[in-house]
Amino acid sequence: MSEPSTPMFNVQIDGVWHQFPKGTRVIEACAQVGVFVPRYCYHKKLSSPGNCRMCLIEMGFPRLGADRKPELGADGKPIINWMPRPQISCAQDVSEGLAVRTNSPLVKECQRGVMEFLLINHPLDCPICDQAGECRLQEFSVDYGDSKSRFLENKVKKPKNVQIGPRVTLDDERCILCSRCIRFCQEIAHDDVLGFVDRGSYTVLTAHPGKRLENNYSLNTVDICPVGALTSTDFRFKMRVWFLKETKSICTSCATGCNTIIGSREDVIYRQTPRENDHVNSCWMCDFGRLNFNYLEAESRLLEPQIRSEGRLVAADWPVAIGQAALQLKQFAGPEIAIIASGRMTNEELWLTSQLAKSLGVQMIDIVPRRGPGDDILLSEDRNPNTNGARLILGSTSEPGAKLIAIAEAVKSGQIKALVMLKENAMHLGISVEQLAQLPVFIAMNVLSHEATERATVVLPACGFAEKRGSMINGKGRLQRLNRAVRPPGNACDDWEILRDLLQAIGGGDSLPSIEDVFRRISETVPQFAGLSSGDVGDLGVHILQIEELPPMHPSDEENIEQAVAIQARRRAVRSH
Amino acid sequence: MDEAVARYPSDHRRSAAMPLLHLWQEHFGFISEEAVLWIAGKLGLQPINILELVTFYPMFREQPPGKTHIRGCRTLSCAMAGGFELMENLCTTFGIQRPPDGDGMHNPITVSADGNYSVEFVECLASCHTAPVCMIGEQVHENVDPNSAANLVRNPQSAIRNPQLRSPPHSLEHRLIYKNIGRPDWTTEIDSYLRDGGYEQLKQALTMSRGDIVNKVKNSGLRGRGGAGFSCGLKWSFIKPDEKRPVYLICNADESEPGTFKDRYIIHEDPHQLLEGILISCYALNAHTAYIYIRGEFPEGAKILERAIEEAGAHNFLGKNILGSGFDVEVYVHRGAGAYICGEETGLIESLEGKRGYPRIKPPYFPAVLGLYMCPTIVNNVETLCHIKHIIAMGGAEYARLGRANNTGTRIVCVSGDVQRPGYFEIEVGAVTMGQLIYEMAGGLRPGRKLKAVIPGGSSAKVLRADEKFKLKHRQSDGSTIEREMSIDEIPMDFDSLTAAGSMAGSGGVMVLDDSRDMIWVLNNVNEFYAHESCGQCTPCREGSLWMKKITDRMLRGGGVVEDPKTLKTIGDNIAGRTICAFGEACAWPTQSFVEKFPEEFAARAQKPIPPPLPPEYTPEELIEEEEIPTTPLAHDPGWEKAGAQGTI
Repeated sequence: MSEPSTPMFNVQIDGVWHQFPKGTRVIEACAQVGVFVPRYCYHKKLSSPGNCRMCLIEMGFPRLGADRKPELGADGKPIINWMPRPQISCAQDVSEGLAVRTNSPLVKECQRGVMEFLLINHPLDCPICDQAGECRLQEFSVDYGDSKSRFLENKVKKPKNVQIGPRVTLDDERCILCSRCIRFCQEIAHDDVLGFVDRGSYTVLTAHPGKRLENNYSLNTVDICPVGALTSTDFRFKMRVWFLKETKSICTSCATGCNTIIGSREDVIYRQTPRENDHVNSCWMCDFGRLNFNYLEAESRLLEPQIRSEGRLVAADWPVAIGQAALQLKQFAGPEIAIIASGRMTNEELWLTSQLAKSLGVQMIDIVPRRGPGDDILLSEDRNPNTNGARLILGSTSEPGAKLIAIAEAVKSGQIKALVMLKENAMHLGISVEQLAQLPVFIAMNVLSHEATERATVVLPACGFAEKRGSMINGKGRLQRLNRAVRPPGNACDDWEILRDLLQAIGGGDSLPSIEDVFRRISETVPQFAGLSSGDVGDLGVHILQIEELPPMHPSDEENIEQAVAIQARRRAVRSH
Repeated sequence: MDEAVARYPSDHRRSAAMPLLHLWQEHFGFISEEAVLWIAGKLGLQPINILELVTFYPMFREQPPGKTHIRGCRTLSCAMAGGFELMENLCTTFGIQRPPDGDGMHNPITVSADGNYSVEFVECLASCHTAPVCMIGEQVHENVDPNSAANLVRNPQSAIRNPQLRSPPHSLEHRLIYKNIGRPDWTTEIDSYLRDGGYEQLKQALTMSRGDIVNKVKNSGLRGRGGAGFSCGLKWSFIKPDEKRPVYLICNADESEPGTFKDRYIIHEDPHQLLEGILISCYALNAHTAYIYIRGEFPEGAKILERAIEEAGAHNFLGKNILGSGFDVEVYVHRGAGAYICGEETGLIESLEGKRGYPRIKPPYFPAVLGLYMCPTIVNNVETLCHIKHIIAMGGAEYARLGRANNTGTRIVCVSGDVQRPGYFEIEVGAVTMGQLIYEMAGGLRPGRKLKAVIPGGSSAKVLRADEKFKLKHRQSDGSTIEREMSIDEIPMDFDSLTAAGSMAGSGGVMVLDDSRDMIWVLNNVNEFYAHESCGQCTPCREGSLWMKKITDRMLRGGGVVEDPKTLKTIGDNIAGRTICAFGEACAWPTQSFVEKFPEEFAARAQKPIPPPLPPEYTPEELIEEEEIPTTPLAHDPGWEKAGAQGTI
């Protein structure tokens, strides 16, 4: 919504008058009323170079009479003076009285002409191109082009299969020189590595041999490439895009919580792409988060519940494993039990964990902070996607992670007899394998097996981010939803169900048939969730934390940012010399 | 090098990229990889920013040339006078195997086996009246006899200077700008200029108000002499008098429209006249910095201008507080590097900012609002700026009495091609007809030849056919207009008449074609120019210009198919009016007009049936039986092939 003070302009689009706020691009104004103007170089988040000429439309302004007022026609509407030349709609804002025609014979002729020009030197080998199915050149060729080619000459030859960076492959013959990727690198990634060399029809997109496209945002260039020029080295030729099931979800690799689309087929994830959300990630996501899904198919994936019998872990049924875990935990009093939860768990899982702690009388409960270098684009220093959720739901007075040292000490000293480890590795807290092995009760819920889970008394195989549902609160206080894209392998089970069953086996809590019920409980007990249902979260999330409720910056954060900037600057300097 | 950097605002050091590249190339002969990295580091840029420039501007070489480097002009007037034979003879003499032209791509330079000589075909060197021309090192050689090419290189003194410089003006001329050109006692030194009353108009202007000067220019009716013919006074009035941002004046000395060579002589023979025009304009526009963007192929001109600036500075005509007026102004020379598109004002501005010469979209980037460094900028042609001096001298109204209504003043017309005395002629606009120009001033056609066609305003102007009848409106003495049918000889040489005749006055480059010329050959030469010079930014021109060139090339080699004339015309239609800049029209108009005006010649060359589109797969080679077609080399950078194989770039 625009500010109430923004002036509104009357604009005629294909004969119909509409109103748009000042500052609306003509191409966007058309889109708002359902008139799509084809475009290649224009991207609403980038500057407009106006180079593809695909969005040419006719423009005109009201004819002014002697009194400088628009002359009205028989229909009482202004008579339009049409400009003789077509104009691009991507670089101009609406103005009072502007009229556009997007489907006139001239416009269609322009579109046909541009399509022909774009295709004459473009390889016509769609069947072997990885972009097929999501290629604007293909789509617009059908919508606006001719079916026949008049081109009898040899095509211009350009480099193919160029590894322009560690994650991006470039086919220059497919490139239509729209410069989206160059502008993305300059304007969004702040890493000016791409450029055009040579000129005219021989222009080639490239990076300098000494400085490749290797920034953490490089794969966004693949998303915005309208054709098959830039492709993801990880994804290309793995799966035809029309076979992909698209699931809206969020990235869980840091506290930013970029909105994503997970592309999967038959329970295998093939790619993750950013989904537009201006409150969170605009149209982008980082490569680190985007490619962080392959672990779901790792060899070390936990597939069956296991219980320790005669010193060995053996597979068990879920009821047996849950019953065994409950039985083991109930042997000890609250102060003898510690729970290490995770900032990677959803709100629902965390709430169930807090209920578990409550019914066992556990005080020693915390999540493991996870930090790494961030940037000023999307990547957060907080690599846990739901630190804010843990902060709210575990209801601790201290900051997440503050109790960990005490928990670790208590495990080492033997004060803790039972440890519940949820999606974390206690060894990262300085607890040795031997110390874990000596614990009488050690319940581990995880996705992958590791040295610590192998010492557990009960192992509960859980789900990864793409295999489950739930909600998380990102670093800026926005509540967002995860959706299940694929089913978990083997007998792995959705985390919230494991926790609910465990809770019930221990005797706490009543029946919670669906995850929505868990959410309802949260909204009843956590004030920030009051009045929300899981449906309210929607695809784009809702803001539930005000800035004052957000944690203060770590004292070291500012320093870190300065350091990061300095490091980056140094790196740049080194590269350019 | 630091001095070169200091010429640009400290937050726009990128502008120094091209000057640094020039300096590097002058010293080392070519731009090495090391140069790219060093210059990027020096200016705080990424190496790709420099690599983009080196590959965009053909003058920058990535390989070392021979000890003597020869640039031969490939463009129309020179080609008609034997430019190709000259190149062939040079290659034979030095034992150079020149690869076939790569479809207008970056022309590679070819070095002889002993490393002593290298040759390169370049586009128009702006000396079309002395065709064919070539540059040996930095020295232009005119009227070169293709058959004694070797002689010329071994005895560089044998360069023939333009004979017109030694002859008096034609009686039909009215010399204002060119009054000093060819004077026996004339030199480029400031003393020579001062003796002749030089810089008096600057002194006069400094006593006037800025508004007065702008009004004088408006009243003069002066129209830009660069090609578009836009009103100079109107352009100036776009600059707000209370503008807070710095205002820049740019003198467009990127003279590169084929057929045009008028600015060459102003720069090389009368630099102070230009400088005075610039300084008056700077004062009128309140611009404290002016850049002269001179084409890279005028190295001598750049030196002459640098020297003139130095001399003028010593006389306090520029610098701080000029002539005690309190007005500060600096003028700098900025060299281009062989890109025609940098004559387009926004392409020029981008180039001056140290980028590829990609024209900007308008709106929003009108130079007067968002020009150089996003500040208000006026770009004027060399000749236009010289006229400013004369408008101050004569007064706007008096100046407007020269020429015809709406076509005031004098202008320099350049005649080249098939005439006996090609050259430059300064005429009152409209006071001379095409016939007078060709037959009286330029000496008419060669014996036994008849006029076939005229390209009246630089190679982008639409061609006029000699036997056409033109309907032009003619203003009566009582103010009413009547339509009069006239022949090509009767067309007055002014902006409006040539527009009415379906072409344009453009940059004043008149190219004359006689009946020996094959129009497809001519068009192919023109097309090759535009395909080579298209910057490649926007789709229609990038793809269309090369496509048109490929078609005319195939037709020329005997492979024309029946659809070709129609295809050519529609390609032109799909480019003109749909591109970012006027280059679209410039490259489309020749094709559109040649095909329209000479249908019989095109039809005769387009006889073959269209090949079937389905397998067996068709190649254009199959159409051409007459001669063997050389294969086209791949993209010029040999590094690419290695790159693909190793999986790295």
